[in-house]
Amino acid sequence: MSLHIFSMMLQASGWTISLSAISILLGLVLSTVISAAMLAKNRAVSFAGRAFVSFFRGAPLLVQLLLIYNLLPVLGLNVPSVVAAIIGLTLCTAAYQAENLRGGFMSVPKGLLEAADMLGMTHFQQFWRIRAPIALRATLPALANEAILILKASSLVSVVGVVELSRMAQDLASSTFQPLPLFATAGFLYLVINSGVALAAQKLEQSFRWGVKV
Amino acid sequence: MTKYAITVEGLSKSFGPTQVLHGVDLRIEEGQVTCLIGPSGSGKSTLLRCMAFLEEASAGMITINGQPLGFDTLPGGERRRLAPEQIRVVRAQIGMCFQQFNLWPHMTALGNVSEALKTVKKIAKPEAEERAMVQLKKVGLEARAGHYPSQLSGGQQQRVAIARALALEPKIMLFDEPTSSLDPELTGEVLNVMRSLAQDGMTMVVVSHEIGFAASMGSKIAFLDHGKLLLEGTPQQVFGKPRHPRLDQFLDTYLDRGAAMLV
Amino acid sequence: MTLDIDLITSMGPELLRAAGVTLSTWLCGALAALVLGFVVAVARRYGPSFLNPILRAYVELMRGTPFLIQLFLLYYGGPFVGISLDPIPAGLLGLSVYGAAYFSEIFRAGFEAVPRGHIEAGECLGLSRTQIVVRIMLPEMTMLILPAGVNMMIIMLKETAVLSFITVPELTFKISQIGSANYAFVESLFLLACIYWGLVELCSHLGYLAESKVRKYGLSHA
Repeated sequence: MSLHIFSMMLQASGWTISLSAISILLGLVLSTVISAAMLAKNRAVSFAGRAFVSFFRGAPLLVQLLLIYNLLPVLGLNVPSVVAAIIGLTLCTAAYQAENLRGGFMSVPKGLLEAADMLGMTHFQQFWRIRAPIALRATLPALANEAILILKASSLVSVVGVVELSRMAQDLASSTFQPLPLFATAGFLYLVINSGVALAAQKLEQSFRWGVKV
Repeated sequence: MTKYAITVEGLSKSFGPTQVLHGVDLRIEEGQVTCLIGPSGSGKSTLLRCMAFLEEASAGMITINGQPLGFDTLPGGERRRLAPEQIRVVRAQIGMCFQQFNLWPHMTALGNVSEALKTVKKIAKPEAEERAMVQLKKVGLEARAGHYPSQLSGGQQQRVAIARALALEPKIMLFDEPTSSLDPELTGEVLNVMRSLAQDGMTMVVVSHEIGFAASMGSKIAFLDHGKLLLEGTPQQVFGKPRHPRLDQFLDTYLDRGAAMLV
Repeated sequence: MTLDIDLITSMGPELLRAAGVTLSTWLCGALAALVLGFVVAVARRYGPSFLNPILRAYVELMRGTPFLIQLFLLYYGGPFVGISLDPIPAGLLGLSVYGAAYFSEIFRAGFEAVPRGHIEAGECLGLSRTQIVVRIMLPEMTMLILPAGVNMMIIMLKETAVLSFITVPELTFKISQIGSANYAFVESLFLLACIYWGLVELCSHLGYLAESKVRKYGLSHA
């Protein structure tokens, strides 16, 4: 494989990473909103939250991407396909992250909050000082997992015309008639990226050790 | 009337169809140690948690130093829920210690003890930490101030939990089975802290299986069975012969019956 | 933007066939993945030690790369090493090998969750290894791995949509074909999403049902 081709693949990897990173971060923000909605006292709001999560976990990402890509112009929003792709990925990951967050919050032992109650902390203070830090630490492994899933899922955005690593491999494979080395290289690059994320997550978990010896 | 730190009148509590407390009347005196004992399911923990307003009673009244807790009774006899602010003010006089310690895992011992001083009392960090160190010294753990709960033994964690409650200078301390989660060799350090607290004149209500501790430290013993207060009195009155048959039945399950017999 | 009823009815038989392809590739793929995954898990635990790193590499490969790339390698790259498959067999093979890696991890976690003492009791009573696995470990594990297993089934159902990339005539492929040719794309895509959604919810509920039936037999998360 020529250096030129490999550098094109590397560049496309960069697009894969940026695309995924943006979607994961936006998804994280959106997921806190969805999570809050699911826990809300208002029946309609919590139902809406749960319906959102159910739909975006129930339909395949590929179908969601196609749907959003074709729906946006109909709604009058003519955005570049990259934006449609990011919206699609974001909505999907937000649903999964909301579930992870919910699990994280539920894992905070009730007793810790009772102690805070007895010491006079308000619900608001309890949320930010006790629940959120502990829930976040509990959610970290799932978040890392989700990041890897999105990186792999980004391979599907080629269906709406966005060029990233998989699409680049496809295009190069059809022009050079060498699918094997090209797709194998693409796979290798994905592996490297995912391993990097896993390693970074491990390092991040270290700072949340709170004295626990491994 | 104001001589009583806590008064409990006609307290009943049900969890769904199960009634756990049946019209309990109890008066806790200031500066004394009252021990609640009884078999599992007798309602003693529930009674304590009602005093802390961690459970809301289904019927009856509780007052803390003369002020109603959570609910007060209207002239017509019905109960009215008090405003959250009022509840908080009354509750601030109570400190609580849990069976599971409930230390916050993401803060050091010092962090745990100083947290409420910073967040609730709005005291600046340096002063809050100074006050927290005073409390940690009192329970003998100033050397462990920088440790996380995961690095402390059960007995040490419980002592930090006591320091954390004491930091807010409560008038009454409630203990819900403080040593039940500890290995036997660690209970001593916690009981010693509680002993010195009692000697300093703190009003304490203790739910415990440590009958020996209750007999030696308790000014008053209250024996609950099936949600009813069966016996109330000094250790001599309660444990002295002839004993109530239910109490005998209960003590039979304890190896340190010997302690009670020495009273 | 009107819903063309005639379009739907005329395309009915084609859509039904496509649904059949989706369901059959999903179910056959899942079954194959389950069996293969179990074999891999057993091989890793009880097999010769040289197999372990090889199988571990296989699992990491399947989990670290996108399913799409694996499909492309198999379908477009396969002929270069003598594996020339039609879309459906390629899709089936790809799905099975992909799912097997995940199922093997699920089984592996299940095996490790069975208390050593239970296995030792079996050994002391003279049970053979096969008997221990089948009569002791599997029943105890079932409750524990059921949620993860059902979840994986659902994931595999959704992955069948990716098979459209190698022209397997399943639902997503068909609806894309019909839709883009007839300008009724958004509605049909939404309908497609709802079909998958419905199947996923059905699978979830069947999973909960199975869990409640099996609960008394075994281990569950502490």
